[in-house]
Amino acid sequence: MVALARKTLIYEWRRFLPAMLAVGFAGLLQLLQIALVLGIFGSTSLYITGSSADVWIGYPGTQSVGSGRTISADVESHVLMDPAVQRVEPYIWVDGDWRGTGETGGVSVFVSGIDPSPNGLMFSKALPASLRARLAEPDAVVVDRSALDQLGVAIGQTATINGHPVRVVGISSGLRALGGVNVLCSLDTARRLNDDPADSGPTYLVARLHDPSQADAVAARLRGDTAFGPYTTWSATDFARISVLYWLFDTGAGAGVLFLAGIVFLVGAVITSQTLIAAVNGSVREYATLNALGVGVAALRRVVLEQAFWVGALGLLGASVLGIVLMMLARSQDVPVVLNVPAALACIVLVMGLAAVSGLAAMRSLRRADPATLLR
Amino acid sequence: MHPATASEPVRTPALQAEGICKAFVSGQQRTQVLDGLTLSIEAGELTLISGPSGCGKSTLLAVLSGLQKVDSGRVQALGSELGQLDLRALERFRLQHTGFVFQGFNLFPALSAFEQVELPLNHMGLSRDEARRRARSSLEEVGLGHRMRLRPSELSGGEKQRVAIARALAKEPELLFADEPTSALDAANGQMIIDILHRIAHTHGTTVLCVSHDPRLVVHADRVLAMEDGRILSDRRTHAPLIDNQGTPS
Repeated sequence: MVALARKTLIYEWRRFLPAMLAVGFAGLLQLLQIALVLGIFGSTSLYITGSSADVWIGYPGTQSVGSGRTISADVESHVLMDPAVQRVEPYIWVDGDWRGTGETGGVSVFVSGIDPSPNGLMFSKALPASLRARLAEPDAVVVDRSALDQLGVAIGQTATINGHPVRVVGISSGLRALGGVNVLCSLDTARRLNDDPADSGPTYLVARLHDPSQADAVAARLRGDTAFGPYTTWSATDFARISVLYWLFDTGAGAGVLFLAGIVFLVGAVITSQTLIAAVNGSVREYATLNALGVGVAALRRVVLEQAFWVGALGLLGASVLGIVLMMLARSQDVPVVLNVPAALACIVLVMGLAAVSGLAAMRSLRRADPATLLR
Repeated sequence: MHPATASEPVRTPALQAEGICKAFVSGQQRTQVLDGLTLSIEAGELTLISGPSGCGKSTLLAVLSGLQKVDSGRVQALGSELGQLDLRALERFRLQHTGFVFQGFNLFPALSAFEQVELPLNHMGLSRDEARRRARSSLEEVGLGHRMRLRPSELSGGEKQRVAIARALAKEPELLFADEPTSALDAANGQMIIDILHRIAHTHGTTVLCVSHDPRLVVHADRVLAMEDGRILSDRRTHAPLIDNQGTPS
């Protein structure tokens, strides 16, 4: 089979270049936007993804990790009775007001009270074991390296949270938060820092299962019992997704992403389809001749669609190469960029969809390839 | 493909038109291009339709080749009633039975001469080897065996038209339609194209219907139909003896 679509694309590459650039830049813009949003908003589920709990138990209707309410401490024994559960520990979230020694004013902090024992679940992936052990000291806290300036402290110095004194015993990395600063301490310290007397129980209970793949089933099984007051359960993956989606859509960032995706798609499709239409028009007499010789309109449409496909694929290739370079550059400058498989697939679908829509638009101009017009 | 020899031509009508009318409407203006025309074209001959521009000769070609429908009347090609065929069936008919050569060469700039010829063959359901064999032998037949790897930009006008003829010829069609095939060419190249068309009719038994106002073609045609105002004025044979022709123009 003579590869008419590909040979024309190579021979007349200048003609197709604008379309490839339009597709490529549309893909690149989309890729970087998604990577940035995922990088920034991914930190809102750090509490879940940085821990090794499989099931989370919290107040019903909780929309993100940071907006939990206390539940009854008695739920813990109920959860422990489930044979699938290996370990349960409380997790206390306290919103705090940090006053450092430096001239920083008040800083809003998110205090995470966790079990400092070596087999503790919370932040097991984000916090080194040595730092975790130091949290067992009374009033000890660990903060992220990036927040030191903001908090106005150095290691070994003291500050106050909600008026209670705390001491920085360690500095970690990868604990950045959105809209505040994460401060880690032990459960005992966290209870002391909480100045609301109505909060008696933990904010969450987190459980580890013998078989992590059972998380959904166990979460469903533990739900619905009201004997210990209101609470509900999520698998860790579900809760992380709820948290990220809440931030995405509550802050309007999600709507912004979708809006920009729409604009990028529209602009890309207009340029690409115009280029492809011009290419079809440039060869319309040749197409008409093929049709006169009996090559069906359907086969000619396939040629146009194939060209659109190659334009999309080459644009995507360019976008990927540039995208990887730019993301490496961003990483080296501590810009939070994250790209996962679903997001990359979404970009590919968007770019190839753009090419397909443009190809369909260009196919319409094949109507002008009427062989009878060649006889005048 | 019906092999025929020059000495014993097959004289069955390949194309028949009966009382065909065709008009074009542009705004308030209605132009009758073909006006109750009847004729038949025999197989294995080079038939020339000549006449001044606007006399309807190109429209007649479009109608006889199934590229356009008539307003009234009937067109039969190789026993098929073209008016009865839908768009798909017409495409299929053209694919199996017809070749076209146009005034413009209409070659894809990106393809070599060989690929131009091979491309339509791919759609005929031929094997890859058969398509290539036919493409090669057609190009050799029009004298381009040594230039088949070249693209249109590297070929002269006459060579391009020979590629276009090879493209039509490789399909081994029973019917070959040519519309002003020489008008864009100089004398020598025009002569070569005429010779090739003539040879195709006589060695392959192909029915060649050529529309042209080029006087050089007249001496090479087996039969010349002169047209004016949508009607056939004269019908004469040049080489072959005149026989009782059922397709006498009305």
